[in-house]
Amino acid sequence: MVPAETYLGWRQARIPGDDHPMRQPQFIRSNTFHWAFMVAGVFAVFVIVLFGFIYWKIDDYLTARSDRVITVELESIASLPPERRLDAIDEKLRQDPRMVQLAAIFAPDGHRIAGNLESLPPQLRIDAPAQAADITRVDRNRRVRQVVRAIARRMENGDILVLGRNVDEAGEISHVVGQALGLGLLPAFLLCLLAGAWLSVRAQKRVEEVNQRVQRIIAGDLSERLPYRTVDEPFSKLAIIVNGMLDEMETMIHALAGVGNDIAHDLRTPLTRARLTLERGRTNASSLEQLQTVADKAITGIDQSLAIITALLRLAEIENGRRSAGFGSVALHEMLREVCDIYEPIAENKNISLQVDVKHQLTVRGDRDLLIEAVANLVDNAIKFTPEGGRVDIELLRGNGETIVRVADTGGGISEPEREAVLRRFYRSDKIRNTPGVGLGLNLVAAIVKLHGFRLAIHAGQGCRVEIICPDRKGEVSEPARLR
Amino acid sequence: MALVLGKRAVSGMRRSSNANVCAAIENQLMPKVLLIEDDSETAEEITAELAERGFEVEWSADGIQGLDQARSSRPDAMIVDRLLPGMDGLTVIEALRKDQVRTPVLVLSALGAVDDRVRGLRMGGDDYLTKPFAIVELVARLEALLRRPAESRETTLRVGPLELDLIERTAKRGDRVIDLLPREFRLLEYMMQRSDQLLTRAMLLEEVWNYKFVPATNLVDVHMGRLRHKVDGPDDSPMIHNVRGAGFILRTGS
Repeated sequence: MVPAETYLGWRQARIPGDDHPMRQPQFIRSNTFHWAFMVAGVFAVFVIVLFGFIYWKIDDYLTARSDRVITVELESIASLPPERRLDAIDEKLRQDPRMVQLAAIFAPDGHRIAGNLESLPPQLRIDAPAQAADITRVDRNRRVRQVVRAIARRMENGDILVLGRNVDEAGEISHVVGQALGLGLLPAFLLCLLAGAWLSVRAQKRVEEVNQRVQRIIAGDLSERLPYRTVDEPFSKLAIIVNGMLDEMETMIHALAGVGNDIAHDLRTPLTRARLTLERGRTNASSLEQLQTVADKAITGIDQSLAIITALLRLAEIENGRRSAGFGSVALHEMLREVCDIYEPIAENKNISLQVDVKHQLTVRGDRDLLIEAVANLVDNAIKFTPEGGRVDIELLRGNGETIVRVADTGGGISEPEREAVLRRFYRSDKIRNTPGVGLGLNLVAAIVKLHGFRLAIHAGQGCRVEIICPDRKGEVSEPARLR
Repeated sequence: MALVLGKRAVSGMRRSSNANVCAAIENQLMPKVLLIEDDSETAEEITAELAERGFEVEWSADGIQGLDQARSSRPDAMIVDRLLPGMDGLTVIEALRKDQVRTPVLVLSALGAVDDRVRGLRMGGDDYLTKPFAIVELVARLEALLRRPAESRETTLRVGPLELDLIERTAKRGDRVIDLLPREFRLLEYMMQRSDQLLTRAMLLEEVWNYKFVPATNLVDVHMGRLRHKVDGPDDSPMIHNVRGAGFILRTGS
């Protein structure tokens, strides 16, 4: 077993007073075991109290019953004529094989006339209801001191009639109860402890197993997962949740590795060009003019690399979602007009008709600068990929509780297999790779859209149709005012 | 954005800007600039370039020392790096602003994120430039800071034959009325307030278009092309000049 400190250190640190962690076996110190022990203890106390109560009740009942019996018998013997009472007592004692009956008649001076009581118990109150009495019983050959229930009555001739009954059944019952306790409770208690110890050992084994796997993950084996059973138990559920997280992280880490390669490729290409240009220029340039041309080319290459770094950093910034603090109300209709206004000359230069169709006054919550950037990127792309003489339409629509910004063009569109892929992080179409620009534009749009909780949809139509779908926020449904 | 360090490309610009910087700072032959930057190579390049353009440059490599220097020598403008040994660049600016020192400050930083930029400006910086930058960009922004247009109540701007009525929103060159779109009007207004001054594309994007990012397409060139077409008629001598690889200048004289 791995020393406790390696993976349970946090727990020890949190239990005050647990200063000697290594003195007891591990499973005894475990939380599970403590709980099991406590449950067993509570269970034992409960059972003992229950048995005590039952015992007390039974004792009470038996006493009351024997009191009734002796009272009735006393009545019946007392009602006999004095000479027949002795016979009745003899008869009664003869028919008592278990020797629980006590009966005696004492003369007024205390002298025993008949029966099996040695003497009239001094504390026994006469003509009182049945009561406990400390008596000495005499049979043919022995004397026994007992505490019994007894009743005494003075007869009309002055004799005192005493009847008693040894209710020792209560003692027997307590004996039986004790045995039952011994036989039942002790094993139950031990079973509890055993179960606790077993659960604790099992939990520790699983923790240990998890620890080993986690160590492997830390060491770099990203495909490792936590063990779980298919049954519905908390530990497995937790393991499944953690595994889900690990899946996500593995994908992300692989994606990042891919990004690393992409960045390396995209940075190396312009840097290689710059380097080659400089190297060749240094050897071959013979005039200042030539050297300056070379320097200009090199600077262009370096600028391209820098632009890629800037775009990636910006993407990271947006994806980290640190900008939601700057959210406010953004009037989309105005924003779209502005974007159109900015891009109109560019479209015109390319003989593309750029139209904005805004029927509603719609606002959303968001970062105005980022949203402009997103829409500008879409329009920029649309103009770039639309051949001369085509058209680009910017539309603002309402429908289904959603506000939709649509940019449609008559360009080549995005092919079916690529439609999903362009939204994936850092995917870059080979077509896009060779056109000017950094090529992270759509990723940036996707990141901005995601930051706002909107959706990005790419449709095929005549050309390409990209939509930013802004669902209404709950409780913030603003009926759009129709323009004009 | 292209870096142009070659003298050929900027020589035309320097001629005019030198004269103007000198004119702008009264009672002084050369505007004094304090540079607080810990990387000595960068500092050397900047110092050399600025000296060549007629600035007197003081250099400090450390935040605390830089702050002392700013207090004692009262420069006309400052260029402050954000990450400095001793004291953070923004703290230096904050300390100066607390002393009611209003010297314009250009903040340099390798932190390019928009939030950092906003923070830099909020802490008292007047402009913000992300590393790496083109040296022309730095000089253009520095000059813009030194010659910030005074708050004026003038409702008409005049630059040479150009006249801009800010109330009526009309423009004229001589007697010829120029029909401008709102965006073009704003662009021309900005340029006329800063005539004879190099305006880089990044500056224009930030100030005229209020863009916080660099668009893929050369937006500024297209818009500027249209404006130039309207302002400089076929028979006029050109007023809007393209400084290759750097930006644009609206020149007063012909």
